[in-house]
Amino acid sequence: MSHKLTDGGQVMHVGTLARVEGEGAMHIEYHDGVVTDVQLRIYEPPRFYEAFLRGRAHTEPPDITARICGICPVAYQTSACWAIEDACGVEVPEEIASMRRLLYCGEWIESHALHVFLLHAPDFLGYDGAIEMAADHPDVVERGLRIKKAGNDLMEVVGGRSIHPVNVRVGGFYRMPSREELRSVRGRVERARDDAMATVQLVAGFDFPDMEQPYEYLSLRAEQGYPIEAGSVVTSSGGAFAVRDFPSHVREFHVEHSNALHARLDGSPEPYVVGPLARYSLNSDRLSDAARAAASAAGLGPVCRNPFRSIVVRAVELVEACTEALRIIDGWSDGVAPSVPVPPRAGEGFGASEAPRGTLFHRYVLDDEGIIRDAQIVPPTSQNQASVEADLRRLVEAWSDLDDHALQHRCEQAIRNYDPCISCATHFLDLTVDRR
Amino acid sequence: MSASRPPPPPPTLVVGLGSADRGDDAVGGHVARALAALEDPRVVVAQYADPTDLIELWTGRDRVVVVDATCSGAAPGTLRLLETGTQQSPLPEAAWVRTGRGGTHAFGLAAAVELARALRRLPAHVTVVGVEAATLEPGAPLSPAVAAAVPAAVAAVLDAVAGPVGARARQGGSADVPG
Repeated sequence: MSHKLTDGGQVMHVGTLARVEGEGAMHIEYHDGVVTDVQLRIYEPPRFYEAFLRGRAHTEPPDITARICGICPVAYQTSACWAIEDACGVEVPEEIASMRRLLYCGEWIESHALHVFLLHAPDFLGYDGAIEMAADHPDVVERGLRIKKAGNDLMEVVGGRSIHPVNVRVGGFYRMPSREELRSVRGRVERARDDAMATVQLVAGFDFPDMEQPYEYLSLRAEQGYPIEAGSVVTSSGGAFAVRDFPSHVREFHVEHSNALHARLDGSPEPYVVGPLARYSLNSDRLSDAARAAASAAGLGPVCRNPFRSIVVRAVELVEACTEALRIIDGWSDGVAPSVPVPPRAGEGFGASEAPRGTLFHRYVLDDEGIIRDAQIVPPTSQNQASVEADLRRLVEAWSDLDDHALQHRCEQAIRNYDPCISCATHFLDLTVDRR
Repeated sequence: MSASRPPPPPPTLVVGLGSADRGDDAVGGHVARALAALEDPRVVVAQYADPTDLIELWTGRDRVVVVDATCSGAAPGTLRLLETGTQQSPLPEAAWVRTGRGGTHAFGLAAAVELARALRRLPAHVTVVGVEAATLEPGAPLSPAVAAAVPAAVAAVLDAVAGPVGARARQGGSADVPG
């Protein structure tokens, strides 16, 4: 919907921005071809959860924070476990870390399949949504559902259920899945890997608007392999620091128009980006052979800075997650203790993992009985708010000749590039463009 | 030789939809568990949080009942019945406003129904039993009004299992039922 303003400007209002994870609001003011204001307005339950966690036992954050989001509970559980274990001076054995990685692969597969096929692909194929797309491309949608189901199956066999896994605890798991149980989902994951390879080919052929992000990229980087469940922090300008130094590099601050804190890296006023593009660009050398070959065939270089190509990177990450899941399943032996004790002690602990949407940081302060005295959660979508706004600023100016409908569509697509997880959030994402 | 009885119809799938951890969104699960406790051979009960799982779950079935929280502005605990399926036209958008349009995954029950229809994986009869929510706050328990409506929702599901809701609902529309 659009209407003229008395000063000659124009307001475009979109009631609901569909196909983003959750709800929020976007306001764009536009005058003589220049964007004067862009505001992503979202509400942030992690703030509520930080308060809610104070006074709780050190064993509770994996269960409590998993409720923040229906699509990335494993990310919350994993970052919480690392942070609490760090505070208590406990290091989990390699097998437990591997099982965390397997569970996390399930979450990546679920989340990326949903976004690539049901939320993002319709933008590129020219449909209003997945339902309309399914009428003409049922095989594409069926492929997406198959891949997603493989992720659900992994989450169920490792996590106990496909949404909000209940099997995760500080120190490991309540119960380890058996080798036989893991083998029972292997066929589906293998099929999903083949489907993911075909997906990379499919999405690489989409038409991508020409755009390069100049922003700093931030991601975890692991000692080996592609960063999923753990790592230390690296940036595209060569920065490298331990997860425990995250708070001294990343400062959160409040802006008037959003309940979610914005974040600044090393004091820079410029935005920085977390998520698939950052992860890939900082770790493409760490991909498995299968995923690297798929990326190369898709025309991705070692670095990808076009946010619209994030759909290709997500597809490559689907290949990576399936490949990693198969590797862990094939190497699994029974007889591993499901958890190690994590006796409480006073201290501060830090944890981070790569949620599907980017780096998710947790920090907890415990007293000597393990009661949480302070909690901090820095979710990826909060960190990306400034870059979403910066992208929109550039796009609206570059595409000022588009009619309202086309411009609105491009803006929505640009927001979906980030797969924003505002669901940890509020109500509808209203998009208003105010042209003056 | 005695005349053999006709085989019983296949059991109806009843799905309790919604997040267990978001206030009244958990009502689908509560109703599903109450139904499962009845051990009624006419139903098989499942509990899911992700609407996209429905497509896989109900493929090949003739009759399905889904229980979900609704947000329509009605009094908390109000029940609403909504009939859809391949035997019905796609529901108007306005009808879906009464059920969880977005779901936890930006892909709600309405989208799952219509996506399944496009993929030819929608059952002939899908009855949605909606329970009007009072709160969807993370971590909140069921509100008293919604908790009190659970037995009526169970009864409504059993009615739907016994036959189409046509007597109470307009075709492709919905009907209010006293909670």
